[in-house]
Amino acid sequence: MRSVRGMRIASIFAVGGLVLSAAACGEAPDEDNNAGSGAKKFSACMVTDVGGIDDKSFNTSAWKGLQDAKAANSNIDTKFVASKAEADYEPNLTQYVNQKCDFILAVGGLMANATSKIAKANPNQAFGIVDANPGDANVYPMQFDTAQAAFQAGYLAAGMSKSGKVGTYGGLPIPPVTIFMDGFVDGVAHYNKTKGKNVQALGWNKETQKGSFTNDFAKQDEGKKVSDALVAQGADIIMPVAGGSGLGTTSAAKASGGKYSTIWVDVDGCESTPDCSAIVTTVVKNIPEAVKEAVLKAAGGEKLQASPGFVGTLANNGVSIAPYHDFESKVPAELKAEVDKIKADIAAGTITVTSKAQPTK
Amino acid sequence: MSTMAVPDVAVAPVDEGFWTRGRKVGLTLLALGLLAAVLFGALATDQQARFTLSDDAAGAALEINGTIGAILFGIITIAAGAALLAGVPKRWFLPVLGVGLVGFVLSFLCWQVSAAPTGQNFMPLVNIIRGTFILALPLIFGALAGVLCERSGVVNVAIEGQLLMGAFSGALFGSISGSVWVGLVAAAIGGAFISLLLAIFAIRYLVDQVVIGIVLNLLAVGVTGFLYERLMQTNIERYNSAPRFGNWNIPLLEDIPVLGPALFRGNIFLYLGLLLVLVIHIALFRTRWGLRTRSVGEHPTAADTLGVKVLRVRYRNVLLAGVVAGIGGASYTLALYSFTKNMIGGKGFIALAALIFGRWNPTGALLAALFFGFADQLATYLGAINSVIPSQFLAMLPYLATILAVAGLVGRVRAPAADGKPYIKG
Repeated sequence: MRSVRGMRIASIFAVGGLVLSAAACGEAPDEDNNAGSGAKKFSACMVTDVGGIDDKSFNTSAWKGLQDAKAANSNIDTKFVASKAEADYEPNLTQYVNQKCDFILAVGGLMANATSKIAKANPNQAFGIVDANPGDANVYPMQFDTAQAAFQAGYLAAGMSKSGKVGTYGGLPIPPVTIFMDGFVDGVAHYNKTKGKNVQALGWNKETQKGSFTNDFAKQDEGKKVSDALVAQGADIIMPVAGGSGLGTTSAAKASGGKYSTIWVDVDGCESTPDCSAIVTTVVKNIPEAVKEAVLKAAGGEKLQASPGFVGTLANNGVSIAPYHDFESKVPAELKAEVDKIKADIAAGTITVTSKAQPTK
Repeated sequence: MSTMAVPDVAVAPVDEGFWTRGRKVGLTLLALGLLAAVLFGALATDQQARFTLSDDAAGAALEINGTIGAILFGIITIAAGAALLAGVPKRWFLPVLGVGLVGFVLSFLCWQVSAAPTGQNFMPLVNIIRGTFILALPLIFGALAGVLCERSGVVNVAIEGQLLMGAFSGALFGSISGSVWVGLVAAAIGGAFISLLLAIFAIRYLVDQVVIGIVLNLLAVGVTGFLYERLMQTNIERYNSAPRFGNWNIPLLEDIPVLGPALFRGNIFLYLGLLLVLVIHIALFRTRWGLRTRSVGEHPTAADTLGVKVLRVRYRNVLLAGVVAGIGGASYTLALYSFTKNMIGGKGFIALAALIFGRWNPTGALLAALFFGFADQLATYLGAINSVIPSQFLAMLPYLATILAVAGLVGRVRAPAADGKPYIKG
């Protein structure tokens, strides 16, 4: 019967579509084939969160850190497995435990619970986790006090704003996002205090912890929608903390012909977006360096101390402000000097940046 | 929406007793009005609520004291509710309901705007209207694609896939050729490709239309995602940096206050979308093609008896729907954004809701899409002024409204009688 034949072909389409979208999610898990490796190498194994290896954010950055470590020490072997759903975290971690990886890296705050559970079950296995601190002795936490660099960015934005209003918005109200927004708002407040100005920061209220969110980390139209509203409220510099959604803002800023500009987060926007000309600077979270250091230490036989773990700050270059690129000539030299001064002050402790979302020690 | 038994006969007016639909709506409106006048009035501040006639805080504005405004507009809603409760002639029902709802929204806005942080006590109307249309645009294209399909009796759940494929092929071929027009044509063909599959499987192979629609959405996500990773990402410059349509200002119209800057300084997709609503509406209800389409969608056997080629009409309409949705997809990649995986992100399904909300009618679909767009824009605006209303609550508003509407607020919602039923000549 025709409908049966049709149904068969249709199911092939369905399966084909699913397979293709799965295939697009990066390489298949790099299975360990133990054979052939003469000397025992130090194996560093990474489990991504659901963002996948190509998220252009922390998964990509963490993987780059592993690759860098491998490049620095040829005795290190790296592999990763991509989690497609949160239900994959535990099986993926367990799989690497069974494969006797020397160091298992979990990426992202969402994996904290799964990692903690597997780590408790395997107390002699070394783990690492980015953006979380489960508090287990065998889990080395790598966290980033991005509020510090975002504070610099807020100050810079306030200094660059012509309208006297700047803005920020997030993907979801979760600590790794709001920490940027807290720092940004405080940076603006610091500018107002030192300069006696009244620059307003829109989109986030640090006291009430309420503000503008896209509720999404991928859709560009959601990002543009939110930044359009902030621009209509008068903001002329916007910091999106919403992953790929922020691209909607940068491309709209680029198309606006200089009416407003943006500050990017995580990875230097001039490397990770096509809209460099609209990006004043980036609040960089130096995940690759942290991961690389951790793996090199572990491979060198040093025990990674879960307490205090690693907290990226301005002082240890774990967080920073990216170069100004296209804005190099537009940012006044005086302002640049002040932003640098803030870095020194924060590193020295004369300015303290606080946020409810800051890493716990 | 598919094959439920829908009585074809015109609904005979039922004697509903005292509590007619009008009275029930009136009572609800009355309650809303009371809520607005009392609650919003109490919460509003003495600040002036400014509704500026521009893109930002500058320029002329309509101003009203927050508290007075909130109470005043609440009272208007109460009056509208009371009028409906007392019973008004049928033709007055919709206008009065409209006044009541607008009053409620304005009362709410007076509260929100007056309670905003200092310096933000204004609502830029140009920005709100433009945002409403921009957010509605993919829904308009998607819902029109739905109208074309479903009016001829083929359920189109594949709108999402058609939009996505349009966005993808627009970006890819626009980039390769370096021409926006080539991109636009490619987008239309991309959308039509998904439609062709839908048509073949639904019409030729009689596969359940809802199932094949969902399958095609999966296929579109898979194919475009795969090509995005393996082709576009290898050379972004060459494959994913399509040229963009600029904004075209329409002379004269652009000088209309508020509406001019909001609507007539847009890009080609906005004009195309609005034009298509008009064209499809006229075509559907005033031309031979439209009559045949509707007859095929309502009673294919009768149409066949009268010599209409049922299957040919259906094939043509489904393909046309793909073209429309494909162009809608291009409004993403040929106007501002570069292509990313699954970038439509569910708008195709909301378009389906707009289609139903708009009663399978192009103008209705436009209004529904604008309503969704407005709710979305309002939620965004409230986020920007640090409103106490949680953004998640506002995000769910359009769907809540759809459920209410489908449940009876806009009257009986009836799909074309043969929607989703394959036609087998015999």
